[in-house]
Formats: sequence, C-alpha cells, structure tokens
Amino acid sequence: MINVIEVNNLVKKYEDFAAVDGVTFDVRKGEIFGLLGENGAGKTTTLEIIEGLRRLTSGTVKVLGEDVSLGCSDRIRENIGVQLQSSAYYNFLTLKEILNLFGGFYKNSISSDELLNMVDLKFKEKSLVKDLSGGQRQRFSIIASLVNDPEIVFLDEPTTGLDPIARRSLWDLIVKIKSQGKTVIITTHYMEEAEVLCDRIAIMDKGKILRIGETHKLIEGTKKPYKISFVVDKDNKGEFVLKLEKYGQIQNLAGKSNHFEMHLKSQSDVNKSVEIIHKLNPESLTVGRASLEDLFVELTGKRVEE
Amino acid sequence: MFKLFFPNLKMLFRNRQQLFWALMFPLLFTFIFGFFFGKNSTTGEIILINKSSTEIATSLDRTITDSGVFKVDTNYSDIEAATDQVKKGKVAAVLVIPENFGTVSPDASKTLEVIDDPANATTNVVLLGILDKFNAALTFQLNKISEPAFTVDEQKTNTRNLSYFDFVLAGLLGLALMNASIMGIAITMAKYREDKIFKRLTVTPMKSWWFIINEVLSRLVLNFIQISIILLIGRYMFDAHIYGNYFVIYALALLGGVLFQLIGFAIASIVKTADAAQGAAMAITIPMMFLGGVFFPVDGLPKWLFSIVQYLPLAPLLRMIRGVALDGTSPFLVPSNMILVLAWIAFCLIFASWKFRFSEE
Repeated sequence: MINVIEVNNLVKKYEDFAAVDGVTFDVRKGEIFGLLGENGAGKTTTLEIIEGLRRLTSGTVKVLGEDVSLGCSDRIRENIGVQLQSSAYYNFLTLKEILNLFGGFYKNSISSDELLNMVDLKFKEKSLVKDLSGGQRQRFSIIASLVNDPEIVFLDEPTTGLDPIARRSLWDLIVKIKSQGKTVIITTHYMEEAEVLCDRIAIMDKGKILRIGETHKLIEGTKKPYKISFVVDKDNKGEFVLKLEKYGQIQNLAGKSNHFEMHLKSQSDVNKSVEIIHKLNPESLTVGRASLEDLFVELTGKRVEE
Repeated sequence: MFKLFFPNLKMLFRNRQQLFWALMFPLLFTFIFGFFFGKNSTTGEIILINKSSTEIATSLDRTITDSGVFKVDTNYSDIEAATDQVKKGKVAAVLVIPENFGTVSPDASKTLEVIDDPANATTNVVLLGILDKFNAALTFQLNKISEPAFTVDEQKTNTRNLSYFDFVLAGLLGLALMNASIMGIAITMAKYREDKIFKRLTVTPMKSWWFIINEVLSRLVLNFIQISIILLIGRYMFDAHIYGNYFVIYALALLGGVLFQLIGFAIASIVKTADAAQGAAMAITIPMMFLGGVFFPVDGLPKWLFSIVQYLPLAPLLRMIRGVALDGTSPFLVPSNMILVLAWIAFCLIFASWKFRFSEE
C-alpha cells in the first residue's frame, strides 16, 4: 500500500498551547481517511498544515513523498484539491466563472460543465454562490476542489450544518470521488459519517490521536462491542434490571424510564441478557454491535455535540 | 498568467455599490467645482470702471480686459451700483481707475480702488497680483528707465487663460484616483481575507505577485474611465482649459492609479479586517486630500509643514499633472516630481511584495 501522506510526530503550538500535540499517521492511496473529533480537537489545524496553509512547530509532514514543512511546492499544489471549512468564493462571479477561473490556475483542469453535471448543478451555472442553498453550496465547494483533477482531496467538515438528506447526498459524492481512484482525507465530528464513509480513521482529542485504524476493526475492538436496546413498560422491572447488570452496564436512554440500553462484552452475555429481557415481553428489542460513537465515548468520556 | 484580469473586471463592474462611488465621486466633485468656478460662475467676473482717459489708464484697462483671466464688465459707471453687484455676489470685484489716473499732476489720484468680496479670494489675489505687477512696471517706467510701458502688455500675452477651476480639475483627478484606488483595494483585499478567498488561493499555484499585477491592471481600466469622466465634464461642460498633451495627462494619472493601488495593497498587507482597512485608508486619504494640493496650492502652508507635505505621494503627482495640463510643460521639467512618484511606487511595491501574503502564517 502506497502512503500518499506521512505525518510524523507533528506539533503545532500557539505560544504555550499545543493545538496539535505529537500526531503521527499516514494516509494510503485510494482510501477515505477520517480525522474524527469534537471542535477544537486539532483536526482542522492538522489538515491545514498538510495543505501548506499553516506552519508546523515540529515534526515532519510529507505529501506525495515531498516534505511540506515549509509550505507546498507547485507540484504538490497541482496534485491536491482543498475544500475549506466555511470557505467563501468570489461574490460577483457565477459558478461557472469561478470554476473556469480556478481551473485556469492549474496545468490540468476538468471542464466546469463536467464538474457541475457531477453534482447536478448545471442548471445553476449562471447563479452566484450566495444564491445557492446550504447543500448546493457545499456540493459546489467540493467540485471546486476537484477542478485540477487532484490525486488527494482534502475535505474539512464538508457536511456540517446540512440537513440529513443533503448530508447523504454529499456522502454519495464523496464515495464517487473515491471511486475515481482519488485519496480523500476528511475531517468530521459526525460519528455516523465517519463510520459510513471512512476506510480508516484517527480519533483526535485535545491535539492527540487517541486511536487510529480501520474503522470496523476499531469498533470491534471496543471493550463492549455488543449493544442491546429495549423498551419495557412493566412496573416490577427493577429486579430484572438487577439481573441484567450482571452481564453488562445498563442505562436509561436519554432519560426515558422505559427505554434501556446495554453494552456487553461477549456473545454469551448477549444471549443470557436477551433471555431475561424476553421474559419482560418488551415492546421493542434490538441487538446490534457497538457504534463508532460508543468507541468515542469510551475513549474520551464524552459525546460530540453539534 | 493574466487569468484574473477579465474576471476582476467583471467583478469590478458587477459590484454596483463600489462602481457607483468610484464613478459618482469624481462626477459629483467635478460638477460642484464646475458650478462654483467653471465658465458660468461669477467667481472670475469683475466690473471695471475707468474714469481716466490717460494713456496709462487705457493701458491698464486693456491689460485687465484682454488678460482673459476675468470676465470684465465695463458697462457700469456708477461705483455704488457696481458695489451693489459685489454685495449680491453677481461679480467678484470692482476695479475703479479714478479720474486723471496716470497724469503727472500732483493732485491727480495715484490710487486704484478695488472693492471685493472676501469670499472670492482666488479672484482677488489674481486681480491684486496683476495690479501690483502693472504698478511696478509703471513705477519702473516713470523713474526714467528707458523701457517703454509695453512690458506690461508682454506680461499679458504670456499669461495663460486659467481659472481656479482649471487648477482644481487636476486636483480632482488625483483625488478621485486616490480615493477609489486606496479605499477600493484596501477594503476589497481585507474582505477577501475575511471571506477566506486568500486562503483558498494559497492552495493553488497562483502567486501573490501575479494576483497583485492582475488586480492593478484591471483597476486601471476603472481609473481610465474615472479620468475620462473628469476631463470630459470639466472640458466640455465647464470649459476647463487644458493646454498639455492629453496622452501625457492620461499616462501620469494612470501612473498615479498604480501608485495609489499599491498604497492600498500596502494597507491590506497590514490590516486584517475590512473595518480596519477602511479606517486606515481614510487616515491616509483625508489628510492627503487637504495637504496634497487638491484644492489649493500647498506652497502657502507654513514652511515646516510644506517641507513635509511636499513629499506626500499626491503632491508631486499633482505638480506634474498641473505642469502638463496648465502649462504644457514636460513632466520631467522638475525631475524631483517624477523621482518622488517612482520612489513611492517602488517603496509600496517592495513593502507589498514583502508583507502581502495570501496565507495568514
């Protein structure tokens, strides 16, 4: 597997505060790699150092084999596409004009028509960015990062603030970009997004990487990889709860007195717990595996808020 | 690498608010000064009452009438009626040549009477200047110097037909270019920074100095339109006198455009927000508007102040434009003016290249 990005012991300090504190990871060609963490975890700073937008304090960063510690060379710029968090474009140029303008900065570029068709925005080609909806604007900002047909695409929180439908539409686009053989590095604080999209993830907190690896393996590697969720309305459920607690931690979900969730270590614990729950005639019972969010809570002790 | 030139032009002309002020500002000022000091204004009009028929009085009469500096009304004989016209603001001054003025008899009046309106300082200064020169020449002649009195007429033929409006029109050129360029660039660039457009450009192969060149070139088109509006309205609506070569005037004005845009970039290299850019741009343009010689000659300032303000970027530029427009002289006549302007351009260029960055780090 070829590494297209290699980050080694990266540190970025602002006076005494370490925004990024000794981060090491690499990104493999053709994968979607996610930097996951809450706001202020150091994801964007890490990404912007790799993009050449910020100077590192110490460590090394290589992109396509080239050291970018002092900024990116034109060769690197020609081969990366960057979508910035809350990036704005020229107010008085149409979508097509912006794409043509940015395409003109590079030796190789994809036609604006092809890009606009890719995200169904051809009909908006003569519109200004301010006239687009939130989802359209994000789709546009992603295709604007593809104008130079880059090898590596950086997406910084591309779905933040979007409604679920727009978010899923953007996921389809990101998968489409991956299917073209490009490497995608994405930052997000949406666990579900990282779980669905990313081949590998690095979970960041307070400038450090807490866990890194293939997404499904990380989830499987949680201390309690199984999860049971059930709803019971019986009054005497107290004694059942006591029985269930032998096999795993049980808690009310979101403060609802009849809705419970259990996190369990083994398959046999799951079987025994389900047997007990059945005796309660639950209104609803689901058994599944732990999610990325469960892993995140396990690692950081907190949930990510929007 | 002129990819940004046409998109920049489109943006300049689509940004109606900025365009409006860039074009309305010079338009407004030219009209205001045109109405006050242009061809139909009373500023340059005087009444001449000549009660003497001596050769000297006739010579003075001719000097004033033919000077072309003023519009001279000779239809009044009553001083009171003429004074009334000054009070009403219909004319700037009344010049009375008393009876027997010019004769050598001891009881003949030797005093010319000028009744003026203090509000028309420019006309008064010019009128008194001419009279002083006439009197000096006359005294010179009467003191038995063999030179004939026609030296006075020679001065007249050498005097260009100029008005305050002609003076201020060149100043308005500089003012319009300065305001649109310094404010326009400083605020637009700060806005680009706020909107993270610079950040987006950092990750492309576009170099910041190419960006500056494209921006300057496209804004010179706007400057060209500004210059044309001022000159056209000044020349054809208010009869401004322009004696020099238009091509040279345009070249100098555009050189000024480049200078002011680079000042705008120098500001944009330091400030981070559009509000700060506006404040910094105004802190530079407003003092320069008054101290750079737009509305009045800076030579009249106290010596210590003049010794400073003569080096402001606008001052040497206006000296050159006025030299060409009003006297038809070469902009290289006083080399220090051109050297100063080029030095300011070089300084701002070096400063902007050094400090102006797309990236915040």
